[in-house]
Amino acid sequence: MTAILTMGRIFRGRWLATAGLCWLILVALAAIFAPLVAPYDPLEFDPLVRLSPPSQEHLFGTDHFGRDSFSRSLYGARMAIVIGFGSVVVALVAGGLAGMISAYFTRLGHVIMRIVDVLMAFPALLLALVLMTLLERSVVNTVIVIGIVYATTTARILFGMTLKLKGEVFVDAATCSGAGHASILFRHILPNLVSPLLVQASFIFAFAQLQAAALDFLGLGLPPEVPSWGNMLSESRIYVTRASWLLLFPGALIILSVFSMNLVGDALRDSIDPRFRNDIKGV
Amino acid sequence: MTRPNTDASDLLLDMRGLTLGVATPDGILPVVQDLSLSLSTGETLGIVGESGCGKSLTSLAIMGLLEGTPVRVLAGEIFFRGRDLLRLSPRERRAIMGNEMSMIFQEPMTSLNPVYRIGDQIIEAIREHRPMSRRAARDRALELLTMVRIPDPAGRIDSFPHQLSGGQRQRVMIAMALAGSPRLLIADEPTTALDVTVQAQILKLIVELQKDTGMGVMLISHDLGVIAETCDRIAVMYRGRVVETAGARELFQDMRHPYTRGLLDSIPEADEDVDRLSAIPGRVPTLDETITGCAFHPRCARAGAGCDSDQPALTAFAPTHFARCHYPLEPDA
Repeated sequence: MTAILTMGRIFRGRWLATAGLCWLILVALAAIFAPLVAPYDPLEFDPLVRLSPPSQEHLFGTDHFGRDSFSRSLYGARMAIVIGFGSVVVALVAGGLAGMISAYFTRLGHVIMRIVDVLMAFPALLLALVLMTLLERSVVNTVIVIGIVYATTTARILFGMTLKLKGEVFVDAATCSGAGHASILFRHILPNLVSPLLVQASFIFAFAQLQAAALDFLGLGLPPEVPSWGNMLSESRIYVTRASWLLLFPGALIILSVFSMNLVGDALRDSIDPRFRNDIKGV
Repeated sequence: MTRPNTDASDLLLDMRGLTLGVATPDGILPVVQDLSLSLSTGETLGIVGESGCGKSLTSLAIMGLLEGTPVRVLAGEIFFRGRDLLRLSPRERRAIMGNEMSMIFQEPMTSLNPVYRIGDQIIEAIREHRPMSRRAARDRALELLTMVRIPDPAGRIDSFPHQLSGGQRQRVMIAMALAGSPRLLIADEPTTALDVTVQAQILKLIVELQKDTGMGVMLISHDLGVIAETCDRIAVMYRGRVVETAGARELFQDMRHPYTRGLLDSIPEADEDVDRLSAIPGRVPTLDETITGCAFHPRCARAGAGCDSDQPALTAFAPTHFARCHYPLEPDA
C-alpha cells in the first residue's frame, strides 16, 4: 500500500513519465503472457506469406521466412526484459561491490579503481564488442558483457558515495558499538545507497536495451534464432526498401521502451534529488 | 598484556605518556604530547580546552577511531582495565567497543544512520555483542529508551532520526552507547550542538545514568561551565598537554595555571553588566608554529624568565592537584 502511495507521489503531475510507466507495464505484460497472446508460433515458417505487409492476419506483417512479426515482437519483449534485469543485476552487484570495497579499503581500492578506469577508457559499445568476440553468442554471455560495461560507471558512482558515507559520524558510532567491517559496509553504509542504486538501475535497464540491440544488429549479441528486437532489425535490414515495416515495428518498440525507461528513471531521480524538478515541470 | 603493579582494581582507564602526531609533508607535528590521565570506576573526568588542544583526538585514540585520519599514535600506552588498548588485535578491540566502553558524539544530527529506524539501530548495537532474538533485543531497546527518558518510548521506537529533535536524538545516541552496559562512557562534546535548556537536561541525564550504573565517564568539552557542573575531576589541556589537573572543587577554588584562570574569566557573568567580554589575548597557535618552553607563554600575562625556553614540569600543589607553570598563581586569600 505504501509502495503505491510512494509511486503516486513520484509520478504526480508528470504525465509523460506516467505514460512511460504504462508502456513499460504493457511490455512486461506482453512478455509474461506472450504464449497466450501471440497469434502464431514466433519460429514457424510460412513461405506462402513471406514479406507480406501488415494486415488483419499479421498485424506487424511477416518477415522473409513468413514468420509473424507481431508474435516475434511479443517474444522479443521477453528478451528485452531478461537482458534488462540481467544486466542490472550484474552491473549493480559487480559495480556496487567494487565501488564500495574500493572506497572502504583504500589501498585495495587504488588497484580496483585503476582497472575500472581502464575499462571506462573504452567506449561502451567497443568494450562490449571486444568482450563478445571473446565469448560465445548466448543470452547469458550477452547479459554478463552488458552488465560488465555498466558496472564501471556504477563502481565510480558508488565509490564516491561510499567515500563520503565512510566519513559520517554514524559510521564512527557503529565502530564504537563494536561493528566489524562487513557489518559497517553492508548494514550501515549500503542502506544509504539504495536510492542512488535504484536510479542507476533504471538507466542501466534502458541503456542495456540499446546496447543489446546494437550487439544483435552487429551479429554479436543473442544467437540469431532467438527472437529479439535487435535480431529482427538485423535480419530485415536488407529488405528495408521492400518491407520497411520489418524495421519500423521493432525499431519503434526499442525507441519507445528506452525512452519510457529514461522517463521513469528521471522521475525516480527527481524524487531523490529535487534540484532539477522545476526545470522539467510537467514532463 | 597486563600492567605490572596494578594495585587499584577500580582503575578503569590509565593513559601513560600518550603522544599523538599528524604526518604532514614537513614532518610529524605533535598534537598530543606526553598525556597521562587516569579514570576510576564511578568517576567523572572532565577534559577542557580550546579547539585544537587535542582533547577530541585523545578520545578518538582511546576508541581506536584514528584509522583513516592522518593522526598516528607515536608513543604511550592506554590501559583499559589492565589491558593496553593499543596492543590489542582489531578483533579483541571490537569485543571491548560498545560492550565495555562506548562513546557519544558531538553531532546528534549525523551520528544516527538516517535510513534506519532508531529502534533498529539500538537493536543492532545490542545484538553486536549479545546473541539474542530480535524480540528480546527490542524489549531491551525499549528499556534503554525508557532509561534515557524518551517520552513515549513505545511510540518512538519506530521513528526515523529526522523525526526527532536534537535533544531526543542525543538521548537515542546515549541509549545506543549504553546498549552493552559499558564500564566507560566517553562523551565528546555531547551538548555542544544542543539548545542551552536541552544541554542541562542531557548533562543531568548523563550524571544520573552514571550514578545508577557506576560507570566511569570521560566528558570532553570546551565549556568550563558544563565540566564544572558534572565532573569529579578536571584536566585542563592546552596545545596537546595537560596544563592543570585537580578535583573539580579544588580547581575552581585554588587554580594555579594562568590558562585555567583565563578560561574561567572568559565566561561572561549573567548578572553583571559587562561592555567588553574578557578574552585570553592572542590566539591558539597553529600546529606548525614551534614554541619553545611553555606553549602558553606568548599569551600569558605572567610569563617571565625561563618561560620561553624551559617546558615546565607538572608540579604538585596538593596530592591530587598538579599544574604545569613556572610562575603559578597564588591561592586566593
